[in-house]
Amino acid sequence: MVADAQLTKKRKQSHYDDDNTSTFKDAVDIEMLSEEEGDEGDDGLYDGEYENFPGIDVESDEEDSEFEDIEGEEDRNDDEEEDSQDTDIENHHVFPQAKDIISDITGQPKRVFPEIEPDYDSDSSTEDAPNRVGNIPMHWYDDLPHVGYDMDGKSVLKPARGDELDKFLETVEDPTAWTSAFDKNTQSDKPLTSEELDLIRRLYENEVPDAEYDPYEPTTEWFTGKGKEEVMPLSAAPEPKRRWIPSKWEKKKVMKIVRAIRQGRIVPNKPKTATARPQFYAIWSETSASYAPPLPAPKPALPTNAESYNPPEEYLPTAEERRKWEEMEPEDRERDYLPHKYPSLRLVPGYDRFIKERFNRQLDLYMAPRVQRVKLNIDPESLIPKLPSPNSLKPFPTYRSLRFQHPDLARCISVSPDGAWVVSGDEKGTVSLWEIIVGREVKRWKFGGKIGAIQWCPRNDANYFVVGSEDALHCLVPPNLPQTVYQATLETLAPTNLPPTPETPSPVKWSTPVSNSWTDETPLLTIRLPSGSGLPNHVAWHRKGDYMASVCTGGSQGGVWIHQISRRHSQAPFKKVKGNVQLVLFHPLKPHFFVATQQYVRMYNLSEQKLLKTLIPGIKWISSMDVHPSGDHLIVGGYDRKLCWFDLELSDKPYKILRCVSVFFLCGTNNQSSFWLYRYHSRAIRSLQFHPIYPLFASSSDDGTIQVFHARVYNDLMTDPLIVPLKILRGHGVANGLGVLQVKWCSKHPWLVSAGADGGINVWCS
Amino acid sequence: MASTSTGPSCPIIFTTQTAYPLPTQKYLIPTNWKRFQLSQLVNKALSLSKPVPFDFLIRGEVLRTSLAEWCAENGVGEEETLEVEYIESALPPQKMTDIPHEDWVSSVSCSIQGYFLTGSYDGILRVFDYSKNVVLSTLAHSAPITSVCTVSSPDDAVNEGKPYLVATASQDLSAQLVEVSLPIDLSKQGESRTLAKLHLHTAPVTSVASDHSGSHILTSSWDMLIGLWDTSIPTSDEVPEPLVAERDRKRRRKLDASENKSKKKAPKAVLKSHTARVSRVTFGREARPNTVYSCGFDSTVRLWDVENGVCTQTISASEKPFLDLSLTADGNIVAASSTDRTITLYDVRTNNSSNISSSLGSLPHPATPSSLALGSTPHHLISGGYDGVVRMWDLRSTKSAMTSFKTWDGHKKVLSVDWKRGLVGVGGEGGLEVWKATEDTRGSQ
Repeated sequence: MVADAQLTKKRKQSHYDDDNTSTFKDAVDIEMLSEEEGDEGDDGLYDGEYENFPGIDVESDEEDSEFEDIEGEEDRNDDEEEDSQDTDIENHHVFPQAKDIISDITGQPKRVFPEIEPDYDSDSSTEDAPNRVGNIPMHWYDDLPHVGYDMDGKSVLKPARGDELDKFLETVEDPTAWTSAFDKNTQSDKPLTSEELDLIRRLYENEVPDAEYDPYEPTTEWFTGKGKEEVMPLSAAPEPKRRWIPSKWEKKKVMKIVRAIRQGRIVPNKPKTATARPQFYAIWSETSASYAPPLPAPKPALPTNAESYNPPEEYLPTAEERRKWEEMEPEDRERDYLPHKYPSLRLVPGYDRFIKERFNRQLDLYMAPRVQRVKLNIDPESLIPKLPSPNSLKPFPTYRSLRFQHPDLARCISVSPDGAWVVSGDEKGTVSLWEIIVGREVKRWKFGGKIGAIQWCPRNDANYFVVGSEDALHCLVPPNLPQTVYQATLETLAPTNLPPTPETPSPVKWSTPVSNSWTDETPLLTIRLPSGSGLPNHVAWHRKGDYMASVCTGGSQGGVWIHQISRRHSQAPFKKVKGNVQLVLFHPLKPHFFVATQQYVRMYNLSEQKLLKTLIPGIKWISSMDVHPSGDHLIVGGYDRKLCWFDLELSDKPYKILRCVSVFFLCGTNNQSSFWLYRYHSRAIRSLQFHPIYPLFASSSDDGTIQVFHARVYNDLMTDPLIVPLKILRGHGVANGLGVLQVKWCSKHPWLVSAGADGGINVWCS
Repeated sequence: MASTSTGPSCPIIFTTQTAYPLPTQKYLIPTNWKRFQLSQLVNKALSLSKPVPFDFLIRGEVLRTSLAEWCAENGVGEEETLEVEYIESALPPQKMTDIPHEDWVSSVSCSIQGYFLTGSYDGILRVFDYSKNVVLSTLAHSAPITSVCTVSSPDDAVNEGKPYLVATASQDLSAQLVEVSLPIDLSKQGESRTLAKLHLHTAPVTSVASDHSGSHILTSSWDMLIGLWDTSIPTSDEVPEPLVAERDRKRRRKLDASENKSKKKAPKAVLKSHTARVSRVTFGREARPNTVYSCGFDSTVRLWDVENGVCTQTISASEKPFLDLSLTADGNIVAASSTDRTITLYDVRTNNSSNISSSLGSLPHPATPSSLALGSTPHHLISGGYDGVVRMWDLRSTKSAMTSFKTWDGHKKVLSVDWKRGLVGVGGEGGLEVWKATEDTRGSQ
């Protein structure tokens, strides 16, 4: 094989050399040939072929194998000849070949083109063909004896064509028959020129068709070679060894592959299996993916008329508008340009906002959401809390009906069970009795020291109230009582037959003045607490009006005493109480007793003498407490502005906490929770009370406001209590950091009485 | 009557129920006209010799602004024909005199010509003449007096010097009949004598009222009862002395000493239907002498048949504890004030059996309207509130008061008003104030 290749190479080389030398001659030959054809006409066809044969012979003689190949090609050429005759014709006129010669002057080789003779026939394109029919489909003449007309209008007759036998004989006899091709224009076979044959051969052998092109040109030594060595190399480093030593590692890698091929581990031309074939996907026919397609980029705003260089007159700003626009902050401007009119387009200046606009556009693209946000399918109306309107929850106190003024800070008030009278006590020891609807004081009592607590006895048949002053509790009777009630009150407070004194002497002394000295001005009964127990600041009645509990700030046993009026006996329910007792309360229905210390509310069963539960409101310092008339709910307020609602059946933890800012959750009838933010007292809570009849409760605070709530409690255990804030009553001043110290409800009406630190007692009516 | 002014005008038809009717005709009135111009127009059109000021009612509302503003407020186009009723306007009340009291005045009565009766919280019944002289001052009750009324006799206006019968109610659970003899000579003091104590109630008595003939009086109390009494003075105690315990006999005796002359009187009938405190009871006008009207804290207004002592009609409101009640002169409309700061008007002519009766209207107040009084015309009403302002209303226009005046600089509560013969007696925290307020022009003539 190697020897063969070398042989062909050598042969080719010689052939090129040949070509180089005989180029000019060949070119001239072609010229001549065409001339000959034109001159000789149809009859001299075979001769011409003959004459030209030796030129071709030189080339074709060189190789036998080539010879055979071309022979096979000849048939094909014959077939093609009929379709593409014009191309053949054009191929006849090969451009004059240039010639490389050594110039006499410079001594350098130079390319010389043949002289063009300036005669009429020098341009082959104007050469006359005998047939002058022009470029028409020659099959029009298929049925005719001639093939066209010559210059003189004579018909050019078809040359005689032999039959198949003649053809065969021709190929046998005529050695040039295989290098001739059929010329449609003349309807005859024409011998191919040596250039044409050479071109065919080159094409056939996948060689470069241009004979002039030399792919193996000798290298021109520009920088290397003799006399051109680099005197000053770029680097002085000696040339590394790897430049000329074959790489050992490459060799090893190659050997590894070679060994693998030999052992059959690598199959060089592996047959392509189905899996190895590239997979194709019909990407357009498939349905899209589960995720949404990316969002299209936001579109830039289309230009408007106002942005035109020649806007309509109405878009042009007046001087006033222009001034206003310039005064405005850039971010406040409705649009960031002012329409401007130019007389012609060529006067429009450069676009000064280009960078900024591009920047904004980039910013738009950058900021544009890439993900389609899934819209929540929620009706916005349903998010608004379904609050019962306060108007539908009427009646509740809405306005201040009247104001009763005490000379000093009024700390405690109480409303009579029939809801007609109010007693109020102040820090100077004054106790006033006044009508709730008129506000006119009808009676006044005077005690030494502060009044800490006032509580009306809840009995209906007797009518009196308890005033807690320093170390003592006084029972006072209001004037103008009906005779029966007065008698009953007397019997209660100063019975003719005193009950037997208990065996164990109590430190609490009960005393009634002798009947001769009875006046309206002095208390009928005084309970003297042990000295040093301090001011009783809280008094709570049992609903039946026989038991009364009092809490003093100082003293032992937590300062809690339970007094029984009918037996004229006092007892301390607790031997020892953890923490400071703030408040006590009787359960409205059960024999239970609530005791609030600073942080906990304990619930005792009085009949069984045991602790039932401890409620943990999470308040730092409990200030007030009240129990719902149903007995199942308890509210506890603290100095740290919190109110806790306990469902006693439910838990020891508050059901709801109202804070300074609290989120209000409402459970409506359709079990739909809703909430809103509610601003509760901003200062310490001072007092709380449930209304005995109406579903209301009120809380008062040091911020001088009273908040009234609707608190509906359902008998159904499943339904949560409904708490709706109704009204914030303002009207009390804040004095020395104290606001509204106590609130009490009128028992028969939705009216509220509140005692303020400024000495004013307000009555709020519905 | 074409107007010469250039502004827009609107068509108006004038109607009236006064004695000054205009022919029914459409007038084009400039919309910038106010009450004054309209009044002048009516005066000119009638060519009255003596100018009469008029007020103008459009759709039951007194015109206070210009016509254009009224139209804009009520959304009435200027093309619409307005029907305007004109009434003689009430002159603004003028303060006559001021009689300070030592205590709050809970009740005032102007029914005796030439005198004012006041009942005070210190339990003293006082009588003043028009020149502020105290004619009589007597300690009638040991507790605050809540209500005072004169038991009118048919001939009291002509009979000078004859003693008047006055009924007082008090928080000491009783009412009294007091005979007050006023002297003809101004230098002398009047005399009073307690004739009878009315013993029924077991709670403070809120009001006392007498009928026109002076034969019967009514008392109402916190104990939900209404007592009906005749005015005959009993010769002996009709109520047995209550059993007084041994120990407080001494106290009793002290009280008895001051009232040894008065006899205890029993009620003729007891009207029992209210479920809460009865705050006011009054007899019907002359046309219906047997009807009694009462209101209470149970948010009801009740009509009673005195003959049979039964409640004939109950008007229930929702959550309106009523404080005072008054009847118009024709006896058709009851006005009742309540603690929700309204005075509600009820038509009592319709004797329907249904409990729900819609109100004719309500007069809103900024403070609790504690008391009200109706004048002799069927349209005017005076109300006194806890804000110290006395307001005069026209019942045809319920949206706002016709006029109002402040008593005691508006800081003290008004507890009682009475309006007779163009004089308004205002009793309250600061004592008694007398204002002159003509009900209408005819009333003053």
